[in-house]
Order: sequence, then structure tokens, then C-alpha cells
Amino acid sequence: MKIAKPLLILIVLAAAVLLPIVTEAYFISIAITILTFMTLALSWDMMLRTGQLSFGTAGFFGLGGYTGIIAAADFGVDPVIGIMLGGLVAGGIALILGMAILRLRGLYFAITTMALASVFMVIIRNLHRLTGGPSGKIVYNTLFNYDSNKVYWFMLAIAVGTVVISELFQRTRIHFAIDSIRADETVAKSHGVNIYKYLIFVFVVTSIIQGVIGATYALQYGFVYPESSFSPHYLLLPIAMALVGGIYSTIGPILGAIILGLSSEYLKLIMPYGHLVIYGVIIVVVVLFMPDGVYGAIKAFFMNRKRRLEER
Amino acid sequence: MKKAILLTLVLAVVAMMAVAATPIKIGAVVPLGDITGDQAAKAMRLAVAEINAAGGLLGRPVELIVIDDELKPEKGAAAIEKLATVDKVDFFVGGMGSSVHLAQIPVMKRYQKITIWIGAASYLCENAVGPDADWYFHLHPWDYQQGASYGLGWTELAEAYPEIRTDRIFLAYEEGGFGTASHESYVALQRLAQQGEGAWAAIMNDYMGVSFKSAALGGGDYRAMLQQAKTYNPDLFIWAGYDADALPMLQQAKEVGFAPEFFVGAPPGWPAHFGDSPLAEGVTLYGMWAPTINKVSPAAEHFYNAYIEMFKEEPATYFAPLGYTNIYFLAEGIKAAGTIDKAPLINALEKVEYASPIGEVLKIAPSNVIKHQGFTAQKILQWQGGEQQVIWPLELKTADPTFPFPSWEGR
Repeated sequence: MKIAKPLLILIVLAAAVLLPIVTEAYFISIAITILTFMTLALSWDMMLRTGQLSFGTAGFFGLGGYTGIIAAADFGVDPVIGIMLGGLVAGGIALILGMAILRLRGLYFAITTMALASVFMVIIRNLHRLTGGPSGKIVYNTLFNYDSNKVYWFMLAIAVGTVVISELFQRTRIHFAIDSIRADETVAKSHGVNIYKYLIFVFVVTSIIQGVIGATYALQYGFVYPESSFSPHYLLLPIAMALVGGIYSTIGPILGAIILGLSSEYLKLIMPYGHLVIYGVIIVVVVLFMPDGVYGAIKAFFMNRKRRLEER
Repeated sequence: MKKAILLTLVLAVVAMMAVAATPIKIGAVVPLGDITGDQAAKAMRLAVAEINAAGGLLGRPVELIVIDDELKPEKGAAAIEKLATVDKVDFFVGGMGSSVHLAQIPVMKRYQKITIWIGAASYLCENAVGPDADWYFHLHPWDYQQGASYGLGWTELAEAYPEIRTDRIFLAYEEGGFGTASHESYVALQRLAQQGEGAWAAIMNDYMGVSFKSAALGGGDYRAMLQQAKTYNPDLFIWAGYDADALPMLQQAKEVGFAPEFFVGAPPGWPAHFGDSPLAEGVTLYGMWAPTINKVSPAAEHFYNAYIEMFKEEPATYFAPLGYTNIYFLAEGIKAAGTIDKAPLINALEKVEYASPIGEVLKIAPSNVIKHQGFTAQKILQWQGGEQQVIWPLELKTADPTFPFPSWEGR
């Protein structure tokens, strides 16, 4: 039993790595999109585990995208370095902002983070020379010259890295701090947990991930555009994925991203008109009837079965 | 020996029949959830149905595969991948959003199939395609061509109707990306005009731009901006916002008693039944097509009637005749080339002259960057008696312009 889990992880990982060898470019492109949103969903969930509902995902995604494109277009930086810079800038700004906004809690924190994308967008729209203003900016040297297999492996590496960070958050002592903050801040504080430090740490780490993903997305297609780069789509879809898969876990957002990513594409192909309605209904039904998400429902099913077997 | 010859002949005939039965596949990517993409896709289906009813192309049927891009860049790029690798289409067509197209361009460059695009007006798309993409044809005017065409239009209108003046231009622009981009392009045009250059050189002396919060984005109070405009007293009052701004802005202009010589609206779309409102009378607008073009263009009339017959609805956006043109332009090229092979077909498409339902004859010429640009101008239209009438280009004119803007009294 002890070997079964690592073996399963190895098989899944090997299958993911080998995917481009056995499938068409179209499926690779779908897989890249799923990995992009999976990573965003995981990063959003990692912040949620502290009890703070952040709506800053789209803001840091766009910020990373702009940094990556400006680095590549204006400074001739290699796209991979541009992606790292995207993460660093998003993380740096999250650190500065976090010092102020992480004094807020609950709804106040959520609303403040919701404004971030709009604030970043207004600033970027007005920095014409640097950002291209409202018209956006393009770059000719896209990530791996749009070799979709290489982009896929790169995205897979980022996604696996995010999964590892998420698991570290679940398995190391950070986990105790985060959980205690979410459960009761006063109790956590009285036990010596430096709440502010941990919140800033998680906020910066998740923002770095969002910045890296934003830069990867922007450099993959070679453009940034204010309305598109800071679109609420990069906030709402990851949240929906985490809710459908199951929050407060690593597996939940992964499952949610796979389920919604594949069903969205499949529905579109079989139902060119009205597929978004069905897609929306799926999300509502899952959230209504599986409040702990698909992963929560699966876990509950196996626990119940185990209990029944033990009772016999 | 005879048997061998007979067998070869039979095999050759079977092979030819198989090729003849193989459809020519056209892959379209449009946003089906939006009226522009929905009507463009329907018009493409209409064109394909007509072509197939007339015997297809090169003796082969035409198959249209439409994929929804959901106005999302990654979905638009994935759609091109699917059309190329799963559906194995021969051509890409479609259009709409510039950001979606920017994500599609790297994928299109990889496959380099003949592509005929009817949307994406941003000059960034043209730069991203680059000068070497001889397989790329763009039919919608680029943003800078639209700005220049309005200048040309007002210049010609001022020549044809000497009482028309456009010296003082006031732009009310929504504070988002769309409006800000319009303001910036007018600032650039004014700078050029002051140097005696550009399409607005002879007609624009002074310019003022003031932003407003669009009703579509939570705004809707335009009184302060309208008061500024009234004080400025422009010859041309232009607003760049969304359809949600159209009626409330007119209502508030009536309240503050602001009636410029020309009240010009430049939203991407107009509210349904806008023409039925008494406030709409005399409002000028920019667009590529209006149903009244039927009066001066047999191609437009044919398209309009066929569309209504097939879909039991009126085409309401210019992307409908543009979608129809998208397919027919390609079909004309294939007929002229006698093949779908890339090089001879590109050659033939460069020479096609297609009398489109947009009104003009579609011809290909280079634009600033790319080799193959189709239409280069928008039209100046005006709401008169509940219909959009063409007031420019003069050769497609369906009515004389109403000016000055009719008084608010009695409306």
C-alpha cells in the first residue's frame, strides 16, 4: 500500500510527460490551457487556506504578462528569463502591497484585492511608451518559437513545481500555522504564530506563481493587451475550478481544472451554440450538490465504505 | 496487357472520383456567443450552401467547419490547432477580436495555410503577421485606415456640401481601452493635421477630447461632459463608447440643450431598435454596411434577401455581409486558379475583384505591413426615418446628409 501512491504519481507524471508523443498539437494546446488554469486555481486555493479570500489572481497574472513581454520586447531578454522576471515583479509588488493590505481581513481584504487588476490596468494603460498603452504590446520571439511540445513541457514543469509547493504547504510546519490562522487567529497568535509574516509569505509565493503563469501565457502567444491580460476570466475560472474540484487541498483544484477544462472543450465541439450554458449548469450543480467538490465527494465515498467495512 | 490497361483505367477513374467527392474544407473561427460572430458564421453557411447548390468548387463540395473562440485568446489559438490537425482543413477564415487573433497568429504562422480574416482591426495584429506572410489576407480595414477613411469622408462631404464644417472636433470617449485608443488616434491625427499631413489636414483645426464613464461599465451620467462640449461648440461631436451609452447620452444632450452640427456615434454596435427612437433621427454613425445599401448594390440586395430567407432574421451587423464575402472571395480565387494549391491560389486571390454585399468591389492591395489587405474604409451613415442611410462614400450614397442636427423640440 505504501508503494502504491508514489507509483501512481510516477505513472501519472510519466503519462503527462509522454503526452506530446502520443497526441495531436490540438490536444497539447488544450493541455497547456488546462495546466495554466490548474496552476492559477492551485495558487488561489493556497492563499484561501490561510482564511483570506484573494481576488488578486488576474492582477498578478496580468502584471507578470506585461513584465515578460516588456523584458523580451524592449530589453531583448530570453522569454524564459522574462518569465522569471514576471514572477519576481509580481512577487515584489505583492510584498509591498501585502504589507499594507494584509492588515485587512475578510471582506475588506477580498474587496481590496479585487481592485488590484483594475488599478494595475489603469496604470499600464497610461504608461504608453513602456506598455503600449490601450493598444497593448507584441513580441516576435515567442516562448520556444511556439513549439507547442516544448511549451507544454515547460508549463508541466511549472505546474509540477506548484503542486510541490502546495504539498509543502500541506505537509511542513507552515501547514499548522496556516490552518490555525484560518481556524482562529486569536488562538494562533496566542500560540506564538506570527500571523502577519505567514500571510505575507503565502501572498508573495502565490503571487509569484500567478506572475510566472501570466508571463508564460503572454510569451507563449507573444502579446499583452490591457483588457485581455487583466481579464476577470483569469480570476473566475480558477475559482470555479477550485470549487468544483474541492478547496483546501492540492488534488481538488487539479481535478477541477481537468474536469472543467476537458468538459468545456468537449461541450463546445458537440454543441457549438449554447455550450456555455451547459458548462455553467455543471458548475452550479457540482457546487450545490457537492459542497466539498468532486475530491471531497470521492474522499467521503471511500471513507464511508471503509467505515462500513470496519463495522461488518 | 489489355487487362492491365483496363485495371489501370478503372483505378484512375476510381481515384479521380474519390478526389472529386473529397470536400474542400474551410475552417472558420468566430465568437458564436456574440452577434458579430453568430451572424458572420450564418452568412458563411449561406455562402457555402449557395456554392454547393451551384455544383461546388472544382467539381468538389465545400465543407465549412465553424469553431467558437468564446472571445478568449487561448480558445482561439486552440481552435486553429484543431482545424489544422484534427479537421485538416484547407483554409482558415473568420475573425473578430484583436486579442484573440494575436494569440492565433503564432499558430497560423506554423501551418501557413491560406488565411482570409474579416476581423481584428488592431495594427498590432498586422505587425504580428509581418510582411512575409504571403498566405495571409485581411479584409477588414485596419484601425489606422478607418481613422484615415473618416478624414477622407468628411473632406469629400465638405466638398460636396460646402455648408458642412468640421473645423472643431470634440471627442467624448469612454475611459476604458476602446475609448482611450480612439482619443489617442485623434490626438495623433490632429498632430499630423497641424503639420499639414494626413487625411484630416484640410478639415481639422482644433480638437478636444473628454472622457466619460460608460453606462456599460457602471457609468451613465454624461451631463458634465456634455456641458463641456456645449461650451466648446464643436462642428463634429463624436462619442466613442458602447451601445448602452447611445440613448441615455442623447436623452441627456436633449436635457442640456446640446445640439451640435453633427452628432456622431462610434460604438462597436447599436442598441436593438435604436432607429425607432425619435432621439435617433439625424444621428451620424460609422460602419461598413447598412441594409439600405440594397438600393444601390444588387450584390447587397441578393445577400440580404437570401440571408432572411435562410435564417428568418435580418442581418443586423456588417460582419454578416463580411462573413459572406469571406467565403465568396476565397471561392472566386479557387475558381480563377483552378486549383487549391497554395502558390497559384495566392496569385489568383491577388487578382480577384469581387462585387461584395458590403457595397464596394473587393480588391487586394498592400497596407502598411502586409501584402494582402482588402477593404480600407468604413462608411459614414446617418439615421434617417428609422433607417441607416449611407451619406459617404458618395458613389454609394443612399440619402443626402441631414444637417445641422435636428432640433430637440418635439422629440
